[in-house]
Amino acid sequence: MDRVIVGMSGGVDSAVASAILKEEGFEVEGLFMKNWEEDSEFCFSEEEYKDALQVCDKLNIPLRSVNFSKQYWDRVFKYFLKEYQNGRTPNPDILCNTEIKFKEFYNYAIALGAQRIATGHYVQTKTYDGNVILIKGNDHFKDQSYFLHRLNQKQISSALFPIGKLKKSVVRSIASQFKFENYNKKDSVGICFIGKKNLIKFLSNYIPKKPGYIINEKGENLGTHQGVMFYTIGQRKGLGIGGINNGGNGAWYVTDKDITNNELIVVQGHMHPALYHKKLIASNVHWISGFEPTISNLKAKIRYRGKDKSCEIKKLDKHMVSVSFNEPRFAISPGQSVVFYQDNICLGGAIIEYAKN
Amino acid sequence: MYFDHSATTPVHPDVQDLINITNSKIYGNPSSNHHFGRKARLLLEKSRAQVAKSINTTPNKIIFNSGGTEANNHVLWSMLGTSKNHVISNKIEHPAVIKVLQELESFGLEYDLINVDKNGFINTDELESKIKRNTGLISIMLANNEIGTIQPLDQVVKIAKKYSILVHSDAVQCLGKININVQSLAVDFLSLSAHKFYGPKGVGVLYAKNPQKLKPLIIGGGQESKLRAGTENIAYALATGLASEIATKSLKKNVDHFLSLEKQFKQKLKRNFKNIIFNGCQSKKLPGLISVSFPGFCSDVLLVKLDRENIFVSNGSACGSGIVKPSPVLSAIGIDNATNLSTLRFSFGLSNSLEEIETLVQILKNKILK
Repeated sequence: MDRVIVGMSGGVDSAVASAILKEEGFEVEGLFMKNWEEDSEFCFSEEEYKDALQVCDKLNIPLRSVNFSKQYWDRVFKYFLKEYQNGRTPNPDILCNTEIKFKEFYNYAIALGAQRIATGHYVQTKTYDGNVILIKGNDHFKDQSYFLHRLNQKQISSALFPIGKLKKSVVRSIASQFKFENYNKKDSVGICFIGKKNLIKFLSNYIPKKPGYIINEKGENLGTHQGVMFYTIGQRKGLGIGGINNGGNGAWYVTDKDITNNELIVVQGHMHPALYHKKLIASNVHWISGFEPTISNLKAKIRYRGKDKSCEIKKLDKHMVSVSFNEPRFAISPGQSVVFYQDNICLGGAIIEYAKN
Repeated sequence: MYFDHSATTPVHPDVQDLINITNSKIYGNPSSNHHFGRKARLLLEKSRAQVAKSINTTPNKIIFNSGGTEANNHVLWSMLGTSKNHVISNKIEHPAVIKVLQELESFGLEYDLINVDKNGFINTDELESKIKRNTGLISIMLANNEIGTIQPLDQVVKIAKKYSILVHSDAVQCLGKININVQSLAVDFLSLSAHKFYGPKGVGVLYAKNPQKLKPLIIGGGQESKLRAGTENIAYALATGLASEIATKSLKKNVDHFLSLEKQFKQKLKRNFKNIIFNGCQSKKLPGLISVSFPGFCSDVLLVKLDRENIFVSNGSACGSGIVKPSPVLSAIGIDNATNLSTLRFSFGLSNSLEEIETLVQILKNKILK
């Protein structure tokens, strides 16, 4: 039977992934990745390692660790900062998958004598016409295909996703049957190296604050911001202007960033038309199959927690596309990914450059 | 098959028996003024005498503590606030010296780290050239933990005496492998760790020729001549005493054993693998500690493959496991990064046999280095 090296995070998903593979008869080994050095302040990798160790002990499999923090810093974190500096909202977890988990980790696992790698992602794969396709996790609420849409054929064909067919509740009950101490551990939220920390506080360690005015559409000054790069289109919380009522109704939302004048533009009310666009331009198009799809019934997600909505893709050049939706979409954020689906199949995606009407 | 005795050793069965008996029978606090207290105190002092004897000194110069790291910290922190607050050490010391110096710099301590040659020996001319008016301490390990090189401590002491500078030596790798005689070494301070000589972890010894030169690192009660507060770990102090006695009494026999394993291992390696490199000085080094590079291979991959065969070795310093960075010790002796990252450390112990060496080389040949 093949030797599989599982990326162990200390969480319940990778723990159950290992347990399933072991029951299926694979020779399973765990590998714990450390991608971030300052764990005391931002990540808690010592705690996570301890949890992973307990799981591996229960399964009687070895756990080893590897440090990719330099690679992560160079290839993921630098990009993350650069995007924020340019006023965009990047998604480092997508890049972490293509550059670290399914590249560095994979290469290392192969060097250690594994035939396959496995992770605890909620996705599935299937071979179809000689092509491996990436399918959403059966638990649609947990589906993580959005984060894996930039993988290529080689990357998805070498990986196993044992929990992609399961609901999270089932994963937790399997974990509890195995008496894993982390069976009830909370799901991790947000970007891994920030966790629950305040984003502005974190970013200002690396990007100097640059306070300026928050203005409404009429150009009226409503308050001050810490630097336009720290905010995201569609952001509601953390603006500090909650009490102000400017004739309109409801909460304030970021609708635009004026980088030249260092102004943050806000509008009132979730339904404000300035927050909605039917079209977006995106770059760095990637197709998992390696080919542009020829189907017509496409859908797209513009953020991880967003819904898939019908769209049409028009190729602008080799790397750029324009994506038109039937209905307007809320808060299209440059730097985030637009990910394309046909039913449950994740086809690929691109990075949003700007929204258009 | 365990070939990682420089990382730690198993507890000697006699020592383990002593720990068990002590913990079940001797529960008095050595500071208590009653029968149980006196009993504990007597045993504590007996073990202090055993340790003293094993390094040829008197019991009043032995301070029990939590291990080599604490011993090093104790000496280095004591340099703070003195007029002679410049320390000279070298680039292949353990982090338990180098990191402490880096930390103490922010409290006003000054330090220099001198270079070592390709065999790992410190440059004594450079040592002397670094001495300043306020140099108060020279800290040079007796033998290195990664390559085993034994430093010319006699020359260090000779230079230090000329300038009335104190000498500290981290000797945690040495007890049970070479003779340690603090009188003839003439050092002022020496650090030991019980778990390196078949004692338990978490206990160690600081030898101080003149304990008055130290300031307590841990403050509280008056234990250990007011130099190390906290109720004494009687069982582990006793264990350290017995382990040190066993290690020194059987030194000659053990060294012969380590040397025969080492000779066999090196011969077989040379015969089977063409381009391997033995690192550090091969004559003046700890017996049974072999640092060997396998060019073209990645040491952490080798380590994992050996782990699967139930063969346990080390790459670089075990304290840094999980982070694959070139070993600073190997870099300091001039080894290029690629060779550095292809290096394993084999450290033999009492339970290893010639048959195990044979199996080890066979597995290396047939399964690992392919």
